[in-house]
Amino acid sequence: MVLILGGKGAGKREYARTLGYGDEEMSADVFSDAPVMTDLEEAVRKAPDQAEKLLEPLCKKELVISCEVGSGVIPLHYEDRRFREETGRLLLRLAREAESVVRVVAGIPTAIKGELPCGRS
Amino acid sequence: MMILLTGGSACGKSSYAEEICVRADGPRFYLAAMQPYGEEGMKKVERHRKLRSGKGFTTVERYTDYASLVLPARGTALLECICNLTSNEMFDAEGNESDPYERVLSGVENLARQSALLVVITNDVGSDGISYDPGTEDYIRALGKINRALAFRADTVIEMVAGIPILLKGELPL
Repeated sequence: MVLILGGKGAGKREYARTLGYGDEEMSADVFSDAPVMTDLEEAVRKAPDQAEKLLEPLCKKELVISCEVGSGVIPLHYEDRRFREETGRLLLRLAREAESVVRVVAGIPTAIKGELPCGRS
Repeated sequence: MMILLTGGSACGKSSYAEEICVRADGPRFYLAAMQPYGEEGMKKVERHRKLRSGKGFTTVERYTDYASLVLPARGTALLECICNLTSNEMFDAEGNESDPYERVLSGVENLARQSALLVVITNDVGSDGISYDPGTEDYIRALGKINRALAFRADTVIEMVAGIPILLKGELPL
């Protein structure tokens, strides 16, 4: 599993396409058969108390795409703070399991763990 | 030797900082600047305490005025975190605002002078692109300026992303 991180609109999905994955292979539903999980942070937002249960199915994906959400002023509302914390903790565990972690900034991918994947053969 | 760790919330800053300190010599001091508010704050403090237990830290809870703190011995100090310290130095109990820059910087300098290794944790709060009320905007700018000064002063600066240290200055300690 390769974890792809970055801000909103940073080019994470575009990067996944360059690795040879089509849009029809991407899904925001962790339990779908799609090899690429997108919008992981939204899955956490919907059910922050279930975040831990996402780890196992996520590890079976080829790519997992998530926004980094921990930067910025600490939110006023408890739900927003909880969402940031749970997303951050899940990403910590995913990064530990991942073969590579790629951070995308302004469309530029940088491997922060392992090597940049060469794409599908 | 001073190491500055930055990164968003729940990105693994504390665990990494503790790991650095555990591998360093001498007495270890954990300097807690966060004032716990309510149940959520207490839980956070409790979680951090559990993380640190068995690692040989003496905890000092102090919310302001690190410039006059005398550490019991020379060793390793971990200050967590600059975001809280800045807010504590900037706003008093009545909500009056003053510039925290000198107080935070002289506090850190005082700790650096008394420690063989000082690890300082901060956070990047200026990257969410949201406009806030004037007090919060002042806080974001004050913290940004303090972070820049600390990064200049530090031997090593690291950004944590999902538990992965990214070197910005100096050498990776682990």
